[in-house]
Order: sequence, then structure tokens, then C-alpha cells
Amino acid sequence: MTSPSEIIDMDQLDHTRCRTWPFSQDFCVTCGLCASSCPASGIDGFDPRMLVRMVSLGFVEDLVNARWPWICTMCGKCENVCPMQVDIADLIRKIRSKREREKVPGILHKGLAAALETGNNLRLPKEDFMFIIEDVAEEVAEEPGFEGFKAPIDKKGANILTTIHNKLVNTHTEDLKHWWKIFHAAKEDWTVTSENWEGTNWGYFTGDDDAMKVMVGRIVEQMKRLEIKNLLCPE
Amino acid sequence: MIKYIKEGRIKLDKSRFIQLAAYHDPCNYGRKAQKHFGHGYFDEPRWIMDQCLENWVDLYPNRMDQICCGGGGGTMTTGYNDERVFYARKKIDQIRATGAKLIVVPCHSCHGQFNNVKSEYDFDDLEVKYLWELVADCLIL
Repeated sequence: MTSPSEIIDMDQLDHTRCRTWPFSQDFCVTCGLCASSCPASGIDGFDPRMLVRMVSLGFVEDLVNARWPWICTMCGKCENVCPMQVDIADLIRKIRSKREREKVPGILHKGLAAALETGNNLRLPKEDFMFIIEDVAEEVAEEPGFEGFKAPIDKKGANILTTIHNKLVNTHTEDLKHWWKIFHAAKEDWTVTSENWEGTNWGYFTGDDDAMKVMVGRIVEQMKRLEIKNLLCPE
Repeated sequence: MIKYIKEGRIKLDKSRFIQLAAYHDPCNYGRKAQKHFGHGYFDEPRWIMDQCLENWVDLYPNRMDQICCGGGGGTMTTGYNDERVFYARKKIDQIRATGAKLIVVPCHSCHGQFNNVKSEYDFDDLEVKYLWELVADCLIL
């Protein structure tokens, strides 16, 4: 496996290139605490200290094309121990944002594109979504103690709007039930929305701020449409 | 959820899970929330754990120094699965060191990662629960 340290193009060396990036990368003292704390250090040659220095020296293209930023989980252990408070996780996300969208690995960008287009990562039509919600609600109502349970969809003026993680209306429908049972027991006035119910926001992972804003804005729109003040986002 | 419990809107039975459990701090609810919003959700989930379980322990290290599960940052969906499974080795060691057979997490990514990697580490008997699943399972109706 080729790691950036093996493919560095020395012609790219330019310490002014990322000078305006706001992650304090130029203050790195090369102590290596980040690399020591990182659970991903060594995977595919990954080394956060080297990554920070590469940004400082302008080797951005090499990093944008590397797998490193996508193997890192942006967990922030590195920056937690950094004596110079370099924002390493945000720096990684910035590098991710510079990858050509069609070359974002796996289904991350495809899911996000589907969400932007259709309202959810699965391209699940509204009728199918409502059918699943109602079907799972009927299953809950069959359990002792939950007789009469219903999952209210688009209930105006409810106290809480809850978003839904797409996997819960796909392969993990059982996991829809936990919060619903708690709501039922607490006699909460809650609802889900039939439109733009998606709770995940993969723009966070792909470094796409504009997409993130669209996804968050849609949830706010739903809260306004349904006149709801509180949001539960279990994602 | 804490409000529901404190106000008595839900009642919980602490005797339903007798096996040793452990709690995992998701990076975004803990360390990163502390950095970006000035408050990491460390105490709140632990208080809820206390209401549901007699017998649970913290992993070590924890809170700001918690070890990432390896499934965050979108890595469940990048396709780099060998790397993601290998990443989890430290997490698995950490859980194993406690002797816990039930790991509780309030995060979809961590939940998916634990269930996905446990068989890779010969840890099939590890039960993984969402924090809200634990609460739902302890409800007195």
C-alpha cells in the first residue's frame, strides 16, 4: 500500500500555501504526542504528525489523493493531547473536503447526493417510509404494556420532533422501537415528519459544509411547518 | 431522558441486567462536544447508567481520553473495512480488560462498529446496546 510519505512530490513544497488555513498547523512542535495517542497510527503508514507537517509544507494534493484522511475517524484524541492545540481533526475534514466529490470513497458521497436529491440517503419514497413506520408501530402495539401505541406522523404542535437514522427504516427497524417505548411510557407528545426525516448528515464526514447546511435547514423547516419547538436527533 | 426519570415520568427496574456492563463515550458526544461546544456529555449518560444497572464499570481510559471505536467519521461506509476492523483492536482490548459482556453506547456509528467487529476478535458473546435501548429494556410499565 502506498502511503503519502512514499509519494511526496517535492515540487509541491510551499510553506505559504496553507498559511491561511485556521488549524494552527504551523505551530506544530513535532513532538509526536498526536501519533502516540492515535488509534490509527501505522495503519497504511498513517501518522498524524507527518500529516500536520505535510500541510504546513504545502503537500496538500498528496494528502487529498491519499487514503489517510479517510482511515482517520476524526476522533480527536490527537488534538486532545496536542500541546499547541493544533485542530487536527478539523484539518483532516478540510483535506477530505478537497477530494473530488466523485472520488469520495465508498457510499459516503453517493448517500449524501441521494439525501440532497430525495430527502434521505436511501431514496426511500414517502409512502414506503410511512408504511414502515406504521408497520413497526403496530408491532410495538402488540407488546404487553404498549396496547394502543401509535407513531404519530406529521403531528402539528407536538412537543418533540424526532429525526430518523436511515438504517432504522432499512435493515434495523427493531431499533426504532426503543425511543418509541420511552415516549409511550413518559406520555410524551412526539412526532416524526413524513418529509426530510433523515437524521444523518454525511456532509459532516465528507467535509461538505454547504450540504450540511441544507440538511440542517430542512429539519428546521419541518419544525416550523409542524410548529414544533424541540428536536430529538438521536443520530 | 434525565428529565423523564427525575420527574418520575418513567420508572426503571435496575435488576434486569445482572451481567457486568461497561459504558463507551462516543467521540462526538464527549471529547468533540467538549471542544466545539464547551460541554462534553460525560456525566449525563453515566447517571442514566446508574438508574438502569447495579453492575457497570467505566472503560479505561475514558471521557476525554476514551479510545475511539474505529467506526466514526464515516468509516463504516468508506469501504476500507480491513483498516476499520484493525483500528478496533485497542477498543476490544479495553472492553475485554473490564470483563464486561455488555457494552452500552449512545451512538449509531459505535453501535454498528461493535456489532460488526466483535466476531473478528472472537468476542461474539459481547452484547451491544444503545443507551436508550437499555432504558427501554428497563421500563416498568
